[in-house]
Amino acid sequence: MGNLLLRTWEQSTDPEYQPKYDAPPSFDPHLGFQGKREERVMIATEQELRAAKIPKEDWDYCAHHRLDLARCRADVFPFVWKCRDEAATVSHCLKDDWIIRMKEYERERRLLQRKKIQDQAAAA
Amino acid sequence: MTCYMRLFSNTHILRRGLHSSVSFKGHWNKDWMPNQYPESEEERKRSAKNYNLHESEYTPYKDDHGYGDYPKLPYLGVATRDPFYPYDNPEHRRNFNETLHAEIDMLGEDRYDAGMPSRFSKGYMLWAFVSVFGFLFGSCYLSILYLPSYQPVTAKQYPLDGKTHYTFETRK
Repeated sequence: MGNLLLRTWEQSTDPEYQPKYDAPPSFDPHLGFQGKREERVMIATEQELRAAKIPKEDWDYCAHHRLDLARCRADVFPFVWKCRDEAATVSHCLKDDWIIRMKEYERERRLLQRKKIQDQAAAA
Repeated sequence: MTCYMRLFSNTHILRRGLHSSVSFKGHWNKDWMPNQYPESEEERKRSAKNYNLHESEYTPYKDDHGYGDYPKLPYLGVATRDPFYPYDNPEHRRNFNETLHAEIDMLGEDRYDAGMPSRFSKGYMLWAFVSVFGFLFGSCYLSILYLPSYQPVTAKQYPLDGKTHYTFETRK
């Protein structure tokens, strides 16, 4: 709630230094970190995903959990409720993915605010 | 429906006995049909008398309307009639033998009060409509313009699109 109100306020008062909707982060990914950040690892291969007929919008960093779920469902069908552990694993992975995206958004927002201060200092 | 009107409008069924075996006009629904469209002055007079109307009040529907010689009465709902008059049939505000409007099934008090003065003027109604719906649609429109209607996240990260994505852990 408060987050929405704050974003509303900031987007109306300060639209140039707000993160764009559905855009990737624009700054150097390692800026401000002690050393380099870990890269995210994709475990499933494209071949496996194609073979399992996973839809393309699901070819994300949780795809190997989706493959486990699809495999389990194929094994036990029609008793698919036996795969609830695999389904929960996919959900948890998606939640963590979402948290990373939220953190990226917040990082982008703060770096834009930092850039704003630098621009103002340069203009003054 | 026409049969129903004639049932209440014709005088010749006034003195019928409930179990009378004497055949009388109005016994059958074909007898309740209106007559032919009045062509001559004489026929007009007869039709006006048949419907208990003065000749000056009597105007039939156009010949192609299918109502025959049935009179064209003012298009007024029953709700516009005097509520304090002692009608023979108070729940319908109707007197016995009274000629009914041809569309009385629509003009009853439970239907359309045609000719009733409205409580508010047309301008006030328009103003109320525009202000209520303008507020609703206007607030929706403004919220679309100014409220960020998306989640505060960056674009979804797909590993196979050639870019490198990072966690928030630093490499040892």
